[in-house]
Amino acid sequence: MKKLNETQLQELEQDLNAIRDEVLADLGERDARYIRRIIRLHRTLEIGGRVMMPFGFIPPVFVAATASLGVAKILENMEIGHNVMHGQYNWMNDPNLHSQTYEWDTVCTADSWRRTHNYEHHTYTNVIGKDRDYGYAVLRLSDEDEWKPWHSLQFINYILLSVLFQWGVGLHELESEKLRRREIRWRDKLPFLRDFARKGGRQAFKDYVFFPLLTLPVAPIVLAGNIGANLIRNLWSSTVIFCGHFTQDAETFSEAECEGESTGHWYLRQLTGSSNFTGGRWLHILSGHLSYQIEHHVFPDLPAHRYPEISEKVQAVCRKHGIPYNTGSFAKQYGTVLNRIFRYSLPDRVRTRLEGGSAPQAI
Amino acid sequence: MLARVIQSKTIHWLGRQLSNQDNPESWLDPVLARINPMWVQAYTPARVEQVIQETADTRTFVLRPARRWTGFRAGQHVNICTEIDGVRRNRTFSLSSSPLLWESQGLVTLTIKRLPGGLVTNWLHDQVEPGQVIGLGEAFGEFLIPEPAQPVLFITGGSGITPVVSQLETMAAQDYPAPVTLLYFVRTHRDVIAGEKLRALASRHSTLRVQVIATNESEEPRFFRGEDLDEIADLKSREVYLCGPKGLMDLAGELLHQRGVTDDRIHSTFFAPPAPAQLEGAGLGGQVTFAKSDVQVGSEGDANLLEIAEAAGLKPQYGCRMGICHQCSCRKTSGTVINRLTGQVSGAGEENVQLCISVPRGPVSVDV
Repeated sequence: MKKLNETQLQELEQDLNAIRDEVLADLGERDARYIRRIIRLHRTLEIGGRVMMPFGFIPPVFVAATASLGVAKILENMEIGHNVMHGQYNWMNDPNLHSQTYEWDTVCTADSWRRTHNYEHHTYTNVIGKDRDYGYAVLRLSDEDEWKPWHSLQFINYILLSVLFQWGVGLHELESEKLRRREIRWRDKLPFLRDFARKGGRQAFKDYVFFPLLTLPVAPIVLAGNIGANLIRNLWSSTVIFCGHFTQDAETFSEAECEGESTGHWYLRQLTGSSNFTGGRWLHILSGHLSYQIEHHVFPDLPAHRYPEISEKVQAVCRKHGIPYNTGSFAKQYGTVLNRIFRYSLPDRVRTRLEGGSAPQAI
Repeated sequence: MLARVIQSKTIHWLGRQLSNQDNPESWLDPVLARINPMWVQAYTPARVEQVIQETADTRTFVLRPARRWTGFRAGQHVNICTEIDGVRRNRTFSLSSSPLLWESQGLVTLTIKRLPGGLVTNWLHDQVEPGQVIGLGEAFGEFLIPEPAQPVLFITGGSGITPVVSQLETMAAQDYPAPVTLLYFVRTHRDVIAGEKLRALASRHSTLRVQVIATNESEEPRFFRGEDLDEIADLKSREVYLCGPKGLMDLAGELLHQRGVTDDRIHSTFFAPPAPAQLEGAGLGGQVTFAKSDVQVGSEGDANLLEIAEAAGLKPQYGCRMGICHQCSCRKTSGTVINRLTGQVSGAGEENVQLCISVPRGPVSVDV
């Protein structure tokens, strides 16, 4: 990681706080209008998808219905749910948009998400051993993780994780790796499992029981379409999220270097541990503006649609302090993610040879 | 309408499963608000029918709430909810019309004075026009006409007259059989709200006596004094209703006590942010744990839990910030708090508290 001394870190903190304060002072009507517009679009797509689905025996209608419901779920999870739960819209004082009470349209309970994502991941971003989002305890993505033979099949794990992403995220807090290592007991996880079963059951009931039964004669079509919509959302969310921290130049950190860190150091870690991708307006919206992962990690509770506006300023701060700003096209960034998953599935000996025997990668 | 349908238990359960919201009836609100704001389900929408200028700084808003609104009793208040620059604001106002107007024509009125620096009252005065829709909560409050009828004395000041206008109208309509006296303090006669209505009521209703007292028209201010009460022969048998600024209410309480009127006969309601009760400086403040947010902060003096949370960067839900609307109610899991309005000390156990009027005394833990 780029090293800054404490004075420089303090200056970095002030520079970023200034950007933050400017946005906070300007929050208002425009942000409220934006999120409500997205909510209206979500409601329209969801209702449209649900209404069209029973007519899915006409192939183009099936495609339209599945896409409509899939995109609705993406919008709700990425641009509404994730951002609302970060508290980005708490200032609106709208009980339906409050971070503490919002519940989203996916298997993971909002409570579990707020603990594992808002707290763990956003606090210990990319600290190997503390940020359980780094590889989701399923993938080996850094040489700080020792290679084990089963890692050689991790590309299959990656595909499975993406396909079943909402269930994976839902079970994240189970900490299965700690259960395997017997660091915790199943008994400790009973309250979590109860909540997981309730929310998972609710989601499965809605998409795989209630709506198919409601239109019984065409139940298989509705069931297939709903599975398809969930699959679209799973693949897209997983892909976007993987681009956020697992690209080639996104850095990782050790517990030691983060012990007792200052706010400035935390900022620096967020800047260097995250990566953006570029694209059109709709790519950003559908990614919940996680295409601006760097801005999101520096300012997780500013309304996400502001990230494009402040990106220039964040880049200027990075230039000023000589901090790399990791961005590139979606295809390029995703390519480096796949590359990383593949490379770290190999034993270190093979990997270093593949990498041309050069000096250890600056990862 | 949608809210009514969803009240059925099964449907409500199903709605929660499908919408992932505890209030599924409001799931479609952002869309409905666009099509017709009167269809919004999260609160009862009310269309502004007319705005009447009462005095230089007071207006009456005539509202037509959606028919599902459950009505009110004379003397009650409502929370209104409105969005100003993207932020939802809740404020409590007294209903100034008689329930009869709601029953016969589906209308209610709020009479609102512009408060200097007040965000919502100024917005209401400057921005609200007939045709606009604002949100209404259900009516609440215990400032009610005695039943069965008993002699009544109203002591009001300024815009504190508003719930009393509603009560007087209701009493007149039912030919209230006992004597009623209104002492109405205003700065000058130009500040009299609903003057014509009061005169009409007094002439129609033989047992009603209205006395308007201007405090600031003479060289020496003419404040409330004992003689005003001494003129009321059966003072001790009256139910006394106080509504006005803190100074007037304190003074009235004192003068009434001196004349042997007991507390159980005195009913009061606030119409403006009440000044905090005098809290003992010692022992206030303490370590506050906001359990859900995993935040711990120390506090000193009479800062309330809402202020402490906000100072710590948290944004709990809130409404009136004066202990009325319960928007900020949440679970206290341990510790003692003092009610800023009443000075009452809570138990140490688990209970619901209103953040905006709860001052910690020692360590407190709340689910925020």
